[in-house]
Amino acid sequence: MSHADLAAGKVIRMSLLFRIQHLLLTVLLTVLAVTGFALMYHGNSLSQWIIRLEGGVHNRGIVHRVAAVLLMANLVYHVFYMLFSREGKRELRQLFIGKQDIDDFFQSLRYNLGTAKEYPRFGRYGYKEKFQYWGASAGIILISITGIMLWAEGFSMIFFPKIVLDLAIIIHGYQGLLAFAVLFLWHLYNVHLHPSVFPMNPSWITGKVSAEWLREEHPLEYEKLKGEGLL
Amino acid sequence: MMHPFLVAALAAAALFLTGPAGAAPPGVGECMDCHGDKTNEMTLPNGQTLSLYVDLQAYRSSVHGGASCVTCHADAKAPHDKLKKVSCGKCHGDAEKSYAGSSHGKLHAKGVTDVPGCDGCHGKHDIRKPKDPAARTFRLNIVATCLRCHKDRAIEQKYNLPDQKVMAAYEDSVHGMASKKSGLLGSAVCVDCHGNHAILPGDEPRSATHRQNIPTMCGKCHPGILEQYEKSVHGKGLRAGIAESPVCTDCHGEHTIAKIQDPSSSVSSRNIPKTCSGCHEKEGISTRYALPKKRFSSYMDSFHGIAVEYGMTKAANCASCHGVHDILPATDPASMINKANLPKTCGKCHPNAGPNFAKGDVHVEISPKKAMGVFAVRVFYTIFISALVILFALHVGLELYGRLRRRKEDAPGGKEGPS
Repeated sequence: MSHADLAAGKVIRMSLLFRIQHLLLTVLLTVLAVTGFALMYHGNSLSQWIIRLEGGVHNRGIVHRVAAVLLMANLVYHVFYMLFSREGKRELRQLFIGKQDIDDFFQSLRYNLGTAKEYPRFGRYGYKEKFQYWGASAGIILISITGIMLWAEGFSMIFFPKIVLDLAIIIHGYQGLLAFAVLFLWHLYNVHLHPSVFPMNPSWITGKVSAEWLREEHPLEYEKLKGEGLL
Repeated sequence: MMHPFLVAALAAAALFLTGPAGAAPPGVGECMDCHGDKTNEMTLPNGQTLSLYVDLQAYRSSVHGGASCVTCHADAKAPHDKLKKVSCGKCHGDAEKSYAGSSHGKLHAKGVTDVPGCDGCHGKHDIRKPKDPAARTFRLNIVATCLRCHKDRAIEQKYNLPDQKVMAAYEDSVHGMASKKSGLLGSAVCVDCHGNHAILPGDEPRSATHRQNIPTMCGKCHPGILEQYEKSVHGKGLRAGIAESPVCTDCHGEHTIAKIQDPSSSVSSRNIPKTCSGCHEKEGISTRYALPKKRFSSYMDSFHGIAVEYGMTKAANCASCHGVHDILPATDPASMINKANLPKTCGKCHPNAGPNFAKGDVHVEISPKKAMGVFAVRVFYTIFISALVILFALHVGLELYGRLRRRKEDAPGGKEGPS
């Protein structure tokens, strides 16, 4: 952290590599959602318009699969980065869900209902972030597997009866819908509309958050950084 | 068709029989004394003028040109009053008989003058053999001959006939284009389907265009297809007297018949699902013949259906799996969709689809009975996503409520004082 940042009360929360991964994820998931839902809800006039815009079902498929390959590459890179880089290993350790997170969740519920005095004190990642991270990871893995099965349909047909591919189609589509619901309703709320960040948490672009925000929302992380003399 | 000597003999007989003793019947030359004059005309009682001119040149080159005027106009003298109607049936008895039973003939007998008599289609003095390219009844001229009346709006309305659009459609159809544009003699013209002298409306059982007769009629030119059709479930159904079993025109159209490559064709890749489901989405049809339901919607929701809908003609349509003219029920061992044949049928496009792949339903009707797995996954996700969204909303609401309270408490005068 530079001195200028410290003076301005800024703390780095997302390193450049994570911001690039996140930005790729944003763009690719949007492309996949637009091309995918147009096919899933093909009877809808908006979908028909989108499919025409994409140059018909054939080209739609190409766009969808190019985005999917990039997304999977992003995922593979992310896995390696989290497992083998120093920064990644440190982040991963802090992302594991422990008993503390479950306690935090119930404590926040109780606090919000007025039966607990203290709001839970989160570390670098609270239960909301952890839920989001693992949920998205599991979803992307499931949607990738079913997607590959459908893409390589000639190969899949050697091993699976048609029912398996029928299931793959329906899982792929609804998993997409699930991801869309989580990202659109939950994630976008938390990073844009939540009172602590409104109108936007800037860290996905600048990588930085204010020390004040960190103290409010992630007090344990704030204290840790302070203890290490980084604040 | 008669030999000239026979015509001559008949003419001689006519002369002998009809000519009053002493007054020899007039020869062609004598008739032309008056009728060779282009200005010779008479005024009819309704005020119209009728030209009495006969083009000798045209007559001489007609099929009857070797005969004489009195062959047909037996009561002609020089000069003469109005002559009796010419009876073609004297020589052409068969044609007259079948004409008399036709729609045209029946009205003609009642004195309706809108319908064509013999001359309406064949001409009068200039009648030529149908093989003669100059004949009105030459194959490439027939359409124009019929359309002289059948494109006339007044006649269409008066007799409740198909309108001009139906007639014009023929000219753009595969048959119309083949005869009009390419000049092919083999292409179907009006009379090939409707008959010539014996034209009847399609709802009369004797009509060539009656449902029961259509496959045979089309099979005159398309015998190979007729053979396949006769063996198919549709053909057998029709022959067993099931009137709603489809005939050629139900799928291909009538005057609008187009090549399958033509996007406007009712049997083009994109239109086939609609054409088949015209019958197969009908509740009555599926119930009466114990057919599985929701074939159309389950197809249209499949990837094949979506691809075809958006113009990927390569993707499978109904005919790709079920066959075309040779459609058979799945229970028939020869059927393309018999369980044992499915790997081969799917394999036309998907070489890896073996017996293992072909297990289970092809049309996936998402219901607990038909596709439990798919149904269960869909229900699971629907509940899961809905529950998640509700929980999000609750969480957001609770959090906002909590923060609001915290802010109140943090405000001056609150429990913890200003922060």
